[in-house]
Amino acid sequence: MSDAPPPVTIEPARKSFLGRVSFVWVIPFLALAIALGVAWQTYAERGPLIEIEFSNGAGITKRETELRFRDIAVGVVEDVKFAADLTGVVASIRVDKEVAAFIDVSATFWVVRPKLTTRGVSGLDTVLSGVYIEGSWDSKAGPSKTSFKGLDDTPLFRPGQEGLEIALRSTAGGNLTDNSPITFRGIEVGRVGKARISQQGDFAIAEAIIYDPHSRLISPTTRFWDTSGFTFSVGPQGAEIDFSSFATLVGGGLTFDTFVSGRGRVADGTVFEVFPDEASARNSLFIAPEVETLEMRVVFDENISGLAVDAPVELSGLKIGKVQSVTGVIDADAFGDNRVRLNAVLSIQPARLGLQEDVTPEAALAFLSKRIEEGLRARLASASLLTGGLKIELIQVDDAPAAVVLTGEGIIPIIPTTESVISDAAATVEGVVTRINNLPVEELLNSAIQFLDSAEAFVSDEDLRETPQDVRALLDEVRGIVNSEDTQGIPVKLNAALGRFENLLAQLEEEKLAARLVAAVDAAASAANGVTTSVEGVPALVTQIQAVAAKVETLPLTELTTQLTELTAAAEKILDTEDARELPADLGDALKEINATLAELREGGAVSNINATLDSARKAADAVATSTQDLPALVERIRAVLSQASATIDGYNKGDVLSRDARAALRDISKAADAMASLARMLERNPSALIRGR
Amino acid sequence: MEIAGKNVEIKSARDLGVIACTRCTQVWPVGTEACGRCGKALMMRDEKSLQRVWALWLVGLMCYVPANMYPMLQTRTLLSVQEDTIVGGAVELMHHGAVGIALIILVASVVIPLAKFMAIAFLAVSVTRPSSVSNHHRQLLYEVVEYIGRWSMIDIFVVAIMSSLVQLNTLAAVNPGRASLFFALSVIFTMLSAQAFDSRMIWDVQAKHKGTVEYE
Repeated sequence: MSDAPPPVTIEPARKSFLGRVSFVWVIPFLALAIALGVAWQTYAERGPLIEIEFSNGAGITKRETELRFRDIAVGVVEDVKFAADLTGVVASIRVDKEVAAFIDVSATFWVVRPKLTTRGVSGLDTVLSGVYIEGSWDSKAGPSKTSFKGLDDTPLFRPGQEGLEIALRSTAGGNLTDNSPITFRGIEVGRVGKARISQQGDFAIAEAIIYDPHSRLISPTTRFWDTSGFTFSVGPQGAEIDFSSFATLVGGGLTFDTFVSGRGRVADGTVFEVFPDEASARNSLFIAPEVETLEMRVVFDENISGLAVDAPVELSGLKIGKVQSVTGVIDADAFGDNRVRLNAVLSIQPARLGLQEDVTPEAALAFLSKRIEEGLRARLASASLLTGGLKIELIQVDDAPAAVVLTGEGIIPIIPTTESVISDAAATVEGVVTRINNLPVEELLNSAIQFLDSAEAFVSDEDLRETPQDVRALLDEVRGIVNSEDTQGIPVKLNAALGRFENLLAQLEEEKLAARLVAAVDAAASAANGVTTSVEGVPALVTQIQAVAAKVETLPLTELTTQLTELTAAAEKILDTEDARELPADLGDALKEINATLAELREGGAVSNINATLDSARKAADAVATSTQDLPALVERIRAVLSQASATIDGYNKGDVLSRDARAALRDISKAADAMASLARMLERNPSALIRGR
Repeated sequence: MEIAGKNVEIKSARDLGVIACTRCTQVWPVGTEACGRCGKALMMRDEKSLQRVWALWLVGLMCYVPANMYPMLQTRTLLSVQEDTIVGGAVELMHHGAVGIALIILVASVVIPLAKFMAIAFLAVSVTRPSSVSNHHRQLLYEVVEYIGRWSMIDIFVVAIMSSLVQLNTLAAVNPGRASLFFALSVIFTMLSAQAFDSRMIWDVQAKHKGTVEYE
């Protein structure tokens, strides 16, 4: 190191900019850049501010109350203030940018507050954390909207509870419990939302949701019914109380079932009817659900009072709709004069027409248009006997003038008319009454009374009471007679007698025949052998004859006849001879001989035989006579019985008039009954017949 | 050297034409580029000192803004979540009657940092123009700022300790808020800014000023 410092090198006066400026300046610029970047990012990420108007702002706090979507916070309330006219509270919410695009017209908002219902407790977490605003919107971005109206209640359809959205409608005059569960086999599968009353006030309608996957249980044939409340019944098993569940008991509820195998899914927005109970739901199966009605118009030339709103419109006796309105109409252009005509607007229910596939007003109009071209016409007809009300009938008129239904946008199609049949109600009533009067009611009653009197008299008659005893006595006697030995002997005796008779007769016949044969043979013999033939041959002859006779007995009659014929022929041949002519004298002798022989024969036992036979016959007859001595008594008895019977029958005879009358009466009754039956049948088929008198 | 022969109370190194190494304190003649012993570049005065002071001061100030806007502490209990900024928390404590604690917080987190900013700014400005405050006072101010700067971190320590101790899951939890980070950054940068200040300049200005006065 030297004493003198080394020469100082002189640096240039000016340094470069970088040389003069500290690099530390980078830090603030960097910080500034970061701050600006963060600020810009924050600003860029900041979502839009939306305003939701609620009817009250209970629990909504600035910068604390969150907006949630599917239970995730997507925004926070920045400000709460009153609406301009103090009708509500407006909450300004800064929503996250990522969901802001989806908050469009579809968005709905409601405040979730703790709620205690029959179904349970909901929103319990909000007790501690404070309320929050729940939002619901679809997953499609739409044109942005910044002002919304908040709902007062939790809506039915919201994300996370996807399902089939349907509408439930009460039956006319029925009830519908809103905000109630829909159960199926005891499991909650859906929910009925807030109900509202239809514009006409005739039914209540409510939105309902069937949560997935239960929505597949719903088909077009599904029927809903009310299960709220309970049923109490006392039966053989004792008293029974029945209710679906405690929740439905208190809060009401619905259930449903598909009674017939349903086909097809149901689209969102389908309307179902809610029936008061299962039975009516079941019965409703065959009644197609009522859909949108078809409006048609009828203009009647006659202006007759009695056609009122809601009067039925019938097709072939089936109610297919009703009269919606009745007005007078003057249309000189259309009808050619200024008369007031009756203009009835009909609402026709397409479901009632029985259209198979396409149950829509369009299909119904097409169907009716076709029918009208074929001659379907409307006419007024009496509907009610008592009120004189009218209805509109659609009937087929075969020779109707051609008509075409005008259809189109804004045109209510007109149904052409035909002559109306309006029977005078009063006259019809009179006719009915007259007819009732004409019924032989009084005669019928008289006859019946008479018949009953006679029957009573007959039944209480003493003779009638005695008859059984008499008959029994008679039978006893008859039995006694029949049982007596004499009577029982009769047949034996008679048999014996008859046997004898038979023998006798056989003998007689034999002898007779024998005699004749003897004669014939004698003659033949004499003819053959001449006068010289002695009578000594007779015994031989007799034996011969007896042989013949025996033969006769054995031989068939024809052979005998031929033999006899041959014999006779031989005899005749012989008689024709000269010898024969000399025969008479001989014959006389021969006859004498025969007579003698007969006498001899007679003496010889035949007569005694006969006598004996007659004797025995007499005996038999006597026996019969003795045995029949009791008969007169019997006959007497029978006569007595008969007389008694006849007395009884007289009694009947007395009643004969009655029985005729009764029979006539019965015929009348049966006729009347038949008439009644046919009348009843006719009335069943066509109740209007009584009214119209046809 | 023209100032020689004048009645000068203090002779600085510059006056003697030497320069001391700031690292190893070896003295070198003026004009030497770098210390021949330790190799550090030799500078008569840190010309960029003020630039560094201002730059770090600015960053510290920038960090101080969010440190007061964002919540310092997030207290989550079963029922609610509470987030308090520094001032908000102090005000709330005051509402609850804890005025003393509120004042401590206010002093430690608001008054002292702000005073530091102002002190550094004052010192940085005072070295470039005449000041009525004496050099000794300014030197004292500088030393106080340097000394007290680290104590500003007490806020951060409180937050860190609370956060680590109070973690009872769902019942209660204390978490540091975003402001704590910015506050820490702000303290760090102000400390750096204070360190960057070359306190020798306090005296340079006086010397220059006096010389000028004398010349006039």
